[in-house]
Amino acid sequence: MAERVTRCRPLIGTFVEITGDEGAIEAGFEAIERAHRLMSAHEPDSDLSRINRFAHEQPVEVDSWTAAVLERAFFWSRHSEGAFDVVAAGAAAIASGYLPLHDGQPRPVAAHWTRMEMCGRTVKLQKPACVDLGGIAKGFAVDRAVAAMKATGCESGLVNAGGDIAGFGPQPWPVQVVQPSDRRAIANVAISNGAIATSSVLPDGSSGHVLMLAGGQVSATVCAPNAMDADALTKIVLSGSPATGRCLDIAEAQAFVVDRGGAIAAVQAPRVAA
Amino acid sequence: MPQSGASWFTIVPAAIAAVAPAPACATVYMSVEQAAHAMFAGAKMVDRSITFTDAQRKAIAKASRASVPKTQHVWEAREGSSRVGWFIVDRVLGKHEYITYAVALTPDGAVKRIEILEYRETYGGEVRNAGWRQQFVGKKFGSQLKLGGDIKNISGATLSSRHITDGVRRLLATWQLVLRNG
Repeated sequence: MAERVTRCRPLIGTFVEITGDEGAIEAGFEAIERAHRLMSAHEPDSDLSRINRFAHEQPVEVDSWTAAVLERAFFWSRHSEGAFDVVAAGAAAIASGYLPLHDGQPRPVAAHWTRMEMCGRTVKLQKPACVDLGGIAKGFAVDRAVAAMKATGCESGLVNAGGDIAGFGPQPWPVQVVQPSDRRAIANVAISNGAIATSSVLPDGSSGHVLMLAGGQVSATVCAPNAMDADALTKIVLSGSPATGRCLDIAEAQAFVVDRGGAIAAVQAPRVAA
Repeated sequence: MPQSGASWFTIVPAAIAAVAPAPACATVYMSVEQAAHAMFAGAKMVDRSITFTDAQRKAIAKASRASVPKTQHVWEAREGSSRVGWFIVDRVLGKHEYITYAVALTPDGAVKRIEILEYRETYGGEVRNAGWRQQFVGKKFGSQLKLGGDIKNISGATLSSRHITDGVRRLLATWQLVLRNG
Protein backbone atom coordinates (compact mmCIF):
# COMPACT_ATOMS: atom_id res chain seq x y z
CA MET A 1 0.00 0.00 0.00
CA ALA A 2 1.25 3.47 -0.91
CA GLU A 3 2.44 5.67 1.92
CA ARG A 4 -0.15 8.11 3.23
CA VAL A 5 0.95 11.73 3.57
CA THR A 6 -0.69 15.14 3.93
CA ARG A 7 -0.01 18.08 1.64
CA CYS A 8 -1.28 21.65 1.85
CA ARG A 9 -1.66 24.32 -0.84
CA PRO A 10 -3.21 27.78 -0.81
CA LEU A 11 -6.28 27.51 -3.06
CA ILE A 12 -9.86 28.80 -3.27
CA GLY A 13 -8.96 31.53 -0.79
CA THR A 14 -7.90 29.20 1.98
CA PHE A 15 -5.53 26.39 2.88
CA VAL A 16 -6.44 23.08 1.32
CA GLU A 17 -5.09 19.97 3.02
CA ILE A 18 -5.26 16.60 1.31
CA THR A 19 -4.32 13.29 2.92
CA GLY A 20 -3.80 10.14 0.87
CA ASP A 21 -1.14 8.58 -1.29
CA GLU A 22 0.93 10.94 -3.44
CA GLY A 23 -0.74 10.20 -6.77
CA ALA A 24 -4.22 10.66 -5.33
CA ILE A 25 -3.19 13.90 -3.63
CA GLU A 26 -2.01 15.29 -6.96
CA ALA A 27 -5.32 14.32 -8.61
CA GLY A 28 -7.22 15.90 -5.71
CA PHE A 29 -5.36 19.20 -6.01
CA GLU A 30 -5.96 19.24 -9.78
CA ALA A 31 -9.70 19.06 -9.12
CA ILE A 32 -9.51 21.86 -6.55
CA GLU A 33 -7.46 23.99 -8.95
CA ARG A 34 -10.04 23.44 -11.69
CA ALA A 35 -12.86 24.50 -9.39
CA HIS A 36 -10.77 27.49 -8.32
CA ARG A 37 -10.20 28.62 -11.93
CA LEU A 38 -13.90 28.29 -12.76
CA MET A 39 -15.44 29.80 -9.67
CA SER A 40 -13.01 32.32 -8.23
CA ALA A 41 -14.54 35.76 -7.82
CA HIS A 42 -11.01 37.20 -7.87
CA GLU A 43 -10.08 35.93 -11.35
CA PRO A 44 -11.63 38.28 -13.94
CA ASP A 45 -12.06 35.52 -16.54
CA SER A 46 -13.49 32.77 -14.35
CA ASP A 47 -16.98 31.50 -15.21
CA LEU A 48 -18.23 33.30 -12.12
CA SER A 49 -16.68 36.66 -13.04
CA ARG A 50 -17.98 36.36 -16.62
CA ILE A 51 -21.49 35.89 -15.21
CA ASN A 52 -21.08 38.94 -13.00
CA ARG A 53 -19.65 41.07 -15.81
CA PHE A 54 -21.82 40.07 -18.76
CA ALA A 55 -24.85 37.91 -17.88
CA HIS A 56 -27.15 40.92 -17.43
CA GLU A 57 -26.54 41.77 -21.11
CA GLN A 58 -26.22 38.38 -22.77
CA PRO A 59 -26.44 34.72 -21.77
CA VAL A 60 -23.13 33.36 -20.46
CA GLU A 61 -22.24 29.73 -21.05
CA VAL A 62 -20.41 28.04 -18.19
CA ASP A 63 -18.55 24.79 -17.54
CA SER A 64 -20.53 21.76 -16.35
CA TRP A 65 -18.90 22.11 -12.92
CA THR A 66 -20.03 25.71 -12.52
CA ALA A 67 -23.50 24.74 -13.74
CA ALA A 68 -23.66 21.96 -11.15
CA VAL A 69 -22.85 24.39 -8.33
CA LEU A 70 -25.39 26.96 -9.56
CA GLU A 71 -28.06 24.25 -9.85
CA ARG A 72 -27.47 23.20 -6.27
CA ALA A 73 -27.45 26.83 -5.14
CA PHE A 74 -30.90 27.24 -6.75
CA PHE A 75 -32.03 24.05 -5.06
CA TRP A 76 -31.06 25.33 -1.61
CA SER A 77 -32.50 28.80 -2.28
CA ARG A 78 -35.85 27.21 -3.10
CA HIS A 79 -35.89 24.84 -0.16
CA SER A 80 -34.63 27.35 2.39
CA GLU A 81 -37.15 29.96 1.20
CA GLY A 82 -34.31 32.26 0.27
CA ALA A 83 -32.17 31.90 3.40
CA PHE A 84 -29.44 30.59 1.12
CA ASP A 85 -29.08 33.14 -1.67
CA VAL A 86 -25.92 33.52 -3.76
CA VAL A 87 -27.24 36.72 -5.38
CA ALA A 88 -28.03 38.42 -2.07
CA ALA A 89 -24.65 37.26 -0.75
CA GLY A 90 -22.95 38.80 -3.79
CA ALA A 91 -24.70 42.15 -3.37
CA ALA A 92 -23.67 42.23 0.29
CA ALA A 93 -20.10 41.22 -0.56
CA ILE A 94 -19.73 44.04 -3.08
CA ALA A 95 -21.33 46.56 -0.71
CA SER A 96 -18.88 45.65 2.05
CA GLY A 97 -15.84 45.53 -0.26
CA TYR A 98 -15.41 41.82 0.44
CA LEU A 99 -15.45 41.01 -3.29
CA PRO A 100 -13.83 43.11 -6.04
CA LEU A 101 -15.60 44.76 -8.94
CA HIS A 102 -13.74 43.84 -12.13
CA ASP A 103 -13.30 46.07 -15.18
CA GLY A 104 -16.64 46.42 -16.87
CA GLN A 105 -18.52 44.76 -14.02
CA PRO A 106 -21.64 46.70 -13.06
CA ARG A 107 -22.61 47.38 -9.46
CA PRO A 108 -25.30 44.91 -8.43
CA VAL A 109 -28.84 46.18 -8.72
CA ALA A 110 -30.61 42.89 -8.02
CA ALA A 111 -30.14 41.11 -4.70
CA HIS A 112 -32.43 38.11 -4.96
CA TRP A 113 -31.76 34.64 -6.33
CA THR A 114 -34.86 34.70 -8.53
CA ARG A 115 -33.14 37.36 -10.68
CA MET A 116 -30.84 34.66 -12.00
CA GLU A 117 -32.02 32.27 -14.70
CA MET A 118 -30.46 29.05 -15.83
CA CYS A 119 -31.07 26.85 -18.81
CA GLY A 120 -28.67 23.94 -19.11
CA ARG A 121 -25.22 25.51 -18.90
CA THR A 122 -26.40 28.99 -19.85
CA VAL A 123 -26.82 31.69 -17.21
CA LYS A 124 -28.71 34.96 -17.51
CA LEU A 125 -29.23 37.78 -15.02
CA GLN A 126 -32.41 39.84 -15.31
CA LYS A 127 -30.58 42.86 -13.90
CA PRO A 128 -26.96 43.59 -13.00
CA ALA A 129 -26.13 41.36 -10.06
CA CYS A 130 -23.20 39.71 -8.37
CA VAL A 131 -23.24 35.98 -7.77
CA ASP A 132 -21.08 34.87 -4.84
CA LEU A 133 -20.46 31.13 -4.68
CA GLY A 134 -18.31 31.43 -1.56
CA GLY A 135 -20.94 29.61 0.50
CA ILE A 136 -21.04 26.48 -1.63
CA ALA A 137 -18.17 26.21 -4.16
CA LYS A 138 -15.59 25.26 -1.56
CA GLY A 139 -17.68 22.25 -0.58
CA PHE A 140 -18.14 21.33 -4.23
CA ALA A 141 -14.37 21.51 -4.79
CA VAL A 142 -13.84 19.17 -1.83
CA ASP A 143 -16.33 16.67 -3.28
CA ARG A 144 -14.63 16.78 -6.70
CA ALA A 145 -11.24 16.26 -5.08
CA VAL A 146 -12.57 13.19 -3.27
CA ALA A 147 -14.00 11.81 -6.54
CA ALA A 148 -10.67 12.43 -8.32
CA MET A 149 -8.77 10.67 -5.54
CA LYS A 150 -11.08 7.66 -5.64
CA ALA A 151 -10.67 7.50 -9.44
CA THR A 152 -6.92 6.89 -8.96
CA GLY A 153 -7.72 3.80 -6.92
CA CYS A 154 -6.95 5.43 -3.58
CA GLU A 155 -8.85 3.58 -0.85
CA SER A 156 -8.83 6.18 1.88
CA GLY A 157 -8.33 9.91 1.98
CA LEU A 158 -9.33 13.21 3.49
CA VAL A 159 -9.75 16.66 1.95
CA ASN A 160 -9.99 19.76 4.14
CA ALA A 161 -10.56 23.12 2.48
CA GLY A 162 -10.54 25.61 5.33
CA GLY A 163 -12.86 23.54 7.49
CA ASP A 164 -15.01 22.06 4.72
CA ILE A 165 -13.97 18.44 5.09
CA ALA A 166 -14.81 15.18 3.32
CA GLY A 167 -13.27 11.82 4.13
CA PHE A 168 -13.53 8.34 2.66
CA GLY A 169 -12.20 4.89 3.38
CA PRO A 170 -12.75 1.99 5.75
CA GLN A 171 -11.65 3.89 8.86
CA PRO A 172 -13.52 6.92 10.23
CA TRP A 173 -11.57 10.19 10.25
CA PRO A 174 -11.41 12.13 13.50
CA VAL A 175 -12.31 15.80 13.09
CA GLN A 176 -12.11 18.46 15.75
CA VAL A 177 -14.60 21.33 15.60
CA VAL A 178 -13.09 24.50 17.03
CA GLN A 179 -14.48 27.80 18.23
CA PRO A 180 -13.69 30.14 15.35
CA SER A 181 -12.53 33.06 17.50
CA ASP A 182 -9.77 31.31 19.42
CA ARG A 183 -9.56 27.86 17.79
CA ARG A 184 -10.49 26.22 21.09
CA ALA A 185 -11.67 22.61 20.67
CA ILE A 186 -15.39 22.32 21.31
CA ALA A 187 -16.47 19.04 19.77
CA ASN A 188 -15.12 15.86 18.22
CA VAL A 189 -16.75 14.22 15.24
CA ALA A 190 -15.84 11.09 13.31
CA ILE A 191 -16.31 11.37 9.54
CA SER A 192 -16.94 8.13 7.73
CA ASN A 193 -17.54 8.43 3.98
CA GLY A 194 -19.15 11.78 4.49
CA ALA A 195 -18.51 15.45 5.04
CA ILE A 196 -18.56 18.18 7.64
CA ALA A 197 -18.50 21.96 7.35
CA THR A 198 -18.46 24.84 9.80
CA SER A 199 -19.43 28.44 9.16
CA SER A 200 -19.10 31.29 11.56
CA VAL A 201 -20.13 34.90 11.95
CA LEU A 202 -17.08 35.88 13.96
CA PRO A 203 -14.64 38.24 12.29
CA ASP A 204 -12.23 35.89 10.60
CA GLY A 205 -12.90 36.30 6.90
CA SER A 206 -15.79 33.90 6.56
CA SER A 207 -18.53 36.18 7.83
CA GLY A 208 -19.05 37.76 4.42
CA HIS A 209 -21.21 34.88 3.30
CA VAL A 210 -23.61 34.83 6.19
CA LEU A 211 -26.64 36.91 5.45
CA MET A 212 -28.76 36.75 8.58
CA LEU A 213 -28.20 35.64 12.11
CA ALA A 214 -30.63 34.08 14.54
CA GLY A 215 -30.33 34.26 18.31
CA GLY A 216 -26.76 34.44 19.54
CA GLN A 217 -25.12 31.63 17.62
CA VAL A 218 -21.64 32.29 16.32
CA SER A 219 -21.05 29.14 14.34
CA ALA A 220 -22.89 26.23 12.77
CA THR A 221 -21.48 22.81 11.99
CA VAL A 222 -23.21 20.46 9.59
CA CYS A 223 -22.49 16.81 8.89
CA ALA A 224 -23.83 15.60 5.53
CA PRO A 225 -23.14 12.91 2.93
CA ASN A 226 -21.32 15.46 0.73
CA ALA A 227 -19.35 18.64 1.40
CA MET A 228 -21.29 20.87 -1.00
CA ASP A 229 -24.53 20.32 0.92
CA ALA A 230 -22.75 20.56 4.28
CA ASP A 231 -21.23 23.90 3.19
CA ALA A 232 -24.54 25.38 2.00
CA LEU A 233 -26.49 24.04 4.99
CA THR A 234 -24.24 25.80 7.50
CA LYS A 235 -25.52 29.10 6.09
CA ILE A 236 -29.14 27.95 6.29
CA VAL A 237 -28.71 26.79 9.90
CA LEU A 238 -27.12 30.11 10.90
CA SER A 239 -29.93 32.01 9.20
CA GLY A 240 -32.46 30.53 11.59
CA SER A 241 -34.82 29.94 8.68
CA PRO A 242 -37.96 27.99 9.66
CA ALA A 243 -37.14 25.69 6.75
CA THR A 244 -33.86 24.59 8.39
CA GLY A 245 -35.13 21.27 9.70
CA ARG A 246 -36.63 20.32 6.37
CA CYS A 247 -33.42 21.24 4.57
CA LEU A 248 -31.36 19.08 6.94
CA ASP A 249 -33.78 16.19 6.34
CA ILE A 250 -33.55 16.55 2.56
CA ALA A 251 -29.77 16.29 2.70
CA GLU A 252 -29.82 13.59 5.41
CA ALA A 253 -27.72 15.98 7.43
CA GLN A 254 -27.27 16.82 11.10
CA ALA A 255 -26.24 20.09 12.66
CA PHE A 256 -25.24 21.84 15.84
CA VAL A 257 -24.76 25.49 16.67
CA VAL A 258 -22.33 27.10 19.06
CA ASP A 259 -22.86 30.33 20.97
CA ARG A 260 -20.30 32.94 21.93
CA GLY A 261 -19.49 31.19 25.20
CA GLY A 262 -18.81 27.89 23.42
CA ALA A 263 -22.05 26.15 24.42
CA ILE A 264 -23.25 23.60 21.88
CA ALA A 265 -26.85 22.91 20.93
CA ALA A 266 -27.94 20.25 18.46
CA VAL A 267 -30.33 21.60 15.86
CA GLN A 268 -33.57 19.71 16.34
CA ALA A 269 -35.30 19.19 13.07
CA PRO A 270 -39.09 18.94 13.29
CA ARG A 271 -39.15 15.54 11.63
CA VAL A 272 -42.12 13.65 10.27
CA ALA A 273 -43.10 10.91 12.71
CA ALA A 274 -42.11 7.43 11.57
CA MET B 1 -37.19 6.94 14.33
CA PRO B 2 -35.69 10.36 14.76
CA GLN B 3 -32.00 10.14 15.46
CA SER B 4 -30.69 11.47 18.70
CA GLY B 5 -29.22 14.85 17.88
CA ALA B 6 -26.19 14.43 20.09
CA SER B 7 -25.08 10.99 18.95
CA TRP B 8 -22.87 12.08 16.09
CA PHE B 9 -20.57 14.39 17.99
CA THR B 10 -18.94 14.49 21.40
CA ILE B 11 -18.56 17.70 23.32
CA VAL B 12 -15.11 18.60 24.56
CA PRO B 13 -15.62 19.28 28.28
CA ALA B 14 -15.25 22.98 29.06
CA ALA B 15 -12.77 22.16 31.85
CA ILE B 16 -10.36 20.53 29.42
CA ALA B 17 -10.83 23.28 26.88
CA ALA B 18 -10.13 25.90 29.55
CA VAL B 19 -7.00 24.22 30.86
CA ALA B 20 -5.56 23.82 27.40
CA PRO B 21 -6.75 26.77 25.38
CA ALA B 22 -5.57 26.69 21.81
CA PRO B 23 -2.19 25.06 22.09
CA ALA B 24 0.29 26.56 19.65
CA CYS B 25 -0.06 23.96 16.97
CA ALA B 26 2.61 23.41 14.34
CA THR B 27 1.88 21.32 11.32
CA VAL B 28 4.74 20.22 9.10
CA TYR B 29 3.68 19.03 5.66
CA MET B 30 6.93 18.81 3.75
CA SER B 31 10.63 19.43 4.26
CA VAL B 32 12.46 21.89 2.03
CA GLU B 33 14.12 18.91 0.40
CA GLN B 34 10.85 17.12 -0.31
CA ALA B 35 9.33 20.24 -1.84
CA ALA B 36 12.36 20.82 -4.08
CA HIS B 37 12.18 17.22 -5.24
CA ALA B 38 8.43 17.40 -5.87
CA MET B 39 8.73 20.63 -7.84
CA PHE B 40 11.97 19.98 -9.74
CA ALA B 41 12.55 16.22 -9.76
CA GLY B 42 15.95 15.38 -11.16
CA ALA B 43 17.19 18.97 -11.31
CA LYS B 44 20.34 20.20 -9.61
CA MET B 45 19.62 22.86 -7.01
CA VAL B 46 22.14 25.68 -6.91
CA ASP B 47 21.96 27.93 -3.86
CA ARG B 48 21.35 31.47 -5.03
CA SER B 49 20.16 32.93 -1.74
CA ILE B 50 20.04 36.70 -1.67
CA THR B 51 21.11 39.29 0.86
CA PHE B 52 19.26 42.35 -0.38
CA THR B 53 20.79 45.79 -0.64
CA ASP B 54 18.75 48.63 0.83
CA ALA B 55 17.95 49.83 -2.68
CA GLN B 56 16.68 46.37 -3.69
CA ARG B 57 14.50 46.09 -0.61
CA LYS B 58 12.99 49.50 -1.29
CA ALA B 59 12.31 48.68 -4.94
CA ILE B 60 10.72 45.30 -4.12
CA ALA B 61 8.64 46.85 -1.35
CA LYS B 62 7.41 49.55 -3.71
CA ALA B 63 6.56 47.06 -6.46
CA SER B 64 4.80 44.56 -4.19
CA ARG B 65 3.37 46.81 -1.46
CA ALA B 66 4.87 44.43 1.11
CA SER B 67 7.67 44.65 3.64
CA VAL B 68 10.78 42.84 2.44
CA PRO B 69 13.04 40.62 4.55
CA LYS B 70 16.79 41.19 4.58
CA THR B 71 17.52 37.82 3.02
CA GLN B 72 15.71 35.37 0.80
CA HIS B 73 16.34 31.65 0.40
CA VAL B 74 16.49 30.99 -3.34
CA TRP B 75 17.77 28.08 -5.41
CA GLU B 76 18.23 27.94 -9.13
CA ALA B 77 17.07 24.63 -10.59
CA ARG B 78 19.37 23.46 -13.36
CA GLU B 79 19.32 20.54 -15.76
CA GLY B 80 22.67 20.27 -17.47
CA SER B 81 23.60 23.74 -18.66
CA SER B 82 20.06 25.15 -18.74
CA ARG B 83 18.00 26.83 -16.06
CA VAL B 84 14.67 25.07 -15.55
CA GLY B 85 13.30 27.34 -12.86
CA TRP B 86 13.63 28.90 -9.46
CA PHE B 87 12.84 27.39 -6.07
CA ILE B 88 12.14 29.87 -3.28
CA VAL B 89 11.45 29.20 0.39
CA ASP B 90 9.65 32.03 2.12
CA ARG B 91 7.63 32.69 5.24
CA VAL B 92 4.75 34.98 6.02
CA LEU B 93 3.19 36.04 9.27
CA GLY B 94 -0.57 35.85 9.10
CA LYS B 95 -2.98 37.20 11.66
CA HIS B 96 -2.53 34.27 14.00
CA GLU B 97 -0.02 32.05 12.29
CA TYR B 98 3.38 31.69 10.75
CA ILE B 99 3.48 29.98 7.41
CA THR B 100 6.56 28.64 5.64
CA TYR B 101 5.99 27.82 2.02
CA ALA B 102 7.88 26.97 -1.13
CA VAL B 103 7.28 28.45 -4.55
CA ALA B 104 8.45 27.06 -7.88
CA LEU B 105 8.89 29.64 -10.63
CA THR B 106 9.43 28.90 -14.31
CA PRO B 107 12.62 30.39 -15.86
CA ASP B 108 10.52 33.34 -17.04
CA GLY B 109 9.09 34.05 -13.63
CA ALA B 110 5.63 32.44 -13.68
CA VAL B 111 4.35 30.61 -10.61
CA LYS B 112 4.48 26.89 -11.30
CA ARG B 113 3.46 25.54 -7.93
CA ILE B 114 3.07 26.53 -4.29
CA GLU B 115 3.33 24.12 -1.37
CA ILE B 116 2.84 24.93 2.28
CA LEU B 117 5.79 23.48 4.23
CA GLU B 118 4.85 24.43 7.77
CA TYR B 119 1.87 26.06 9.39
CA ARG B 120 2.15 27.24 12.95
CA GLU B 121 -0.90 28.59 14.73
CA THR B 122 -0.34 30.95 17.60
CA TYR B 123 -3.87 31.66 18.75
CA GLY B 124 -3.84 33.39 22.07
CA GLY B 125 -0.13 32.91 22.46
CA GLU B 126 2.66 35.40 22.37
CA VAL B 127 4.32 35.89 19.04
CA ARG B 128 7.75 34.38 19.34
CA ASN B 129 9.29 36.13 16.45
CA ALA B 130 12.94 35.61 17.32
CA GLY B 131 12.51 31.91 17.93
CA TRP B 132 10.80 31.49 14.63
CA ARG B 133 13.44 33.35 12.70
CA GLN B 134 16.14 31.28 14.34
CA GLN B 135 14.66 28.22 12.78
CA PHE B 136 15.35 29.34 9.26
CA VAL B 137 18.37 31.60 9.45
CA GLY B 138 21.33 29.80 8.00
CA LYS B 139 19.23 26.88 6.89
CA LYS B 140 21.03 25.22 4.03
CA PHE B 141 19.46 23.16 1.37
CA GLY B 142 19.57 19.53 2.35
CA SER B 143 19.14 20.11 6.04
CA GLN B 144 16.06 18.21 7.10
CA LEU B 145 13.29 19.97 8.92
CA LYS B 146 11.98 18.00 11.82
CA LEU B 147 8.69 16.49 10.83
CA GLY B 148 5.85 17.06 13.21
CA GLY B 149 3.37 14.64 14.65
CA ASP B 150 -0.10 13.78 13.49
CA ILE B 151 -1.99 16.37 11.57
CA LYS B 152 -5.21 17.52 13.17
CA ASN B 153 -8.28 17.75 10.98
CA ILE B 154 -9.94 20.92 12.07
CA SER B 155 -13.35 22.23 11.08
CA GLY B 156 -13.71 25.82 12.18
CA ALA B 157 -13.98 29.07 10.39
CA THR B 158 -12.09 29.44 7.16
CA LEU B 159 -8.54 30.69 7.45
CA SER B 160 -7.67 33.20 4.80
CA SER B 161 -4.70 32.47 2.56
CA ARG B 162 -4.39 36.15 1.65
CA HIS B 163 -1.00 36.45 3.39
CA ILE B 164 0.38 33.84 1.02
CA THR B 165 -0.95 35.79 -1.94
CA ASP B 166 0.83 38.90 -0.61
CA GLY B 167 4.03 36.91 -0.10
CA VAL B 168 3.96 35.47 -3.60
CA ARG B 169 3.49 38.97 -5.02
CA ARG B 170 6.65 40.03 -3.17
CA LEU B 171 8.53 37.00 -4.54
CA LEU B 172 7.44 37.81 -8.09
CA ALA B 173 8.74 41.36 -7.61
CA THR B 174 11.98 39.84 -6.30
CA TRP B 175 12.25 37.75 -9.47
CA GLN B 176 11.50 40.77 -11.65
CA LEU B 177 13.97 43.11 -9.96
CA VAL B 178 16.77 40.80 -8.82
CA LEU B 179 16.70 37.18 -10.05
CA ARG B 180 15.80 37.86 -13.66
CA ASN B 181 19.02 39.75 -14.27
CA GLY B 182 21.14 37.41 -12.14
